[in-house]
Amino acid sequence: MVLDQSQAGARLDAVFHALAHPARRAMLKRLSAAPQNIGELASPFAMTFAGASKHVRVLERAGLVKRKVEGREHVCAIAPAPLKTATDYLNRYERLWAASLDALDAMLKEEDAAARKRKRKSK
Amino acid sequence: MTGGPIHIRVSRRFTASAERVFDAWLDETTAGRWWFATPAGKMQSVKIDGRVGGKFHIVERRGDDDAEHFGTFIELDRPRRIVLDFATDAHHPPTRVTIEIAALREGGCELTLSHDIAPEWAEYKDRTNQGWTMILESLAKTLGG
Repeated sequence: MVLDQSQAGARLDAVFHALAHPARRAMLKRLSAAPQNIGELASPFAMTFAGASKHVRVLERAGLVKRKVEGREHVCAIAPAPLKTATDYLNRYERLWAASLDALDAMLKEEDAAARKRKRKSK
Repeated sequence: MTGGPIHIRVSRRFTASAERVFDAWLDETTAGRWWFATPAGKMQSVKIDGRVGGKFHIVERRGDDDAEHFGTFIELDRPRRIVLDFATDAHHPPTRVTIEIAALREGGCELTLSHDIAPEWAEYKDRTNQGWTMILESLAKTLGG
């Protein structure tokens, strides 16, 4: 299990940075239902076209969104692979701590068992 | 207890008392048996200076590599709370780990560990208590992944 942050890579940085903003997460949720153009993405957030476009660029850089130009429209679609990479990264840390706590529990129980044994012997 | 927006949380119940569980984090002689110990790994060295501002350094050999864990104790409130900064690479900014230990009425205790994975990614506009794993997993689920 390698947990070196330098190996996690700049891509992961970009993914977490993109996901750290609530408006961008909301955009991803909407895109998970269907592709949308930038105007459609902007509308529920009282956001300007330029503002929405900026958020989309952050999502694009992270590889979370692919933009297709259709005539004058820019249609955005979600790209799920980086989400899995990010989830795997967090899960690795979760497993590291869970394994440590399991081992701690086992050690404390062993100590208890050894103490009981000593007690029985001394009786 | 709230972590930054990118954090993981792990809870565990122990039959041992809160004091024993707390002390285990600071015990250099036994920590190598569990802290960052992996089944296939071989613990190389464990150094723990269990004081506020004290450092720890835990090295486990995993295959051909040494997995190093560096840290500093920020808060020690026996037996309730441990806050530490932690990194797996001395050249990287540390991440914050908060350990809360609650004694249970029926005996034993419950430990909750919260790890802020990446403070540098956090935009503090977002103060939801939703864990990141949950956010990511619910997104992945909507995607059928």
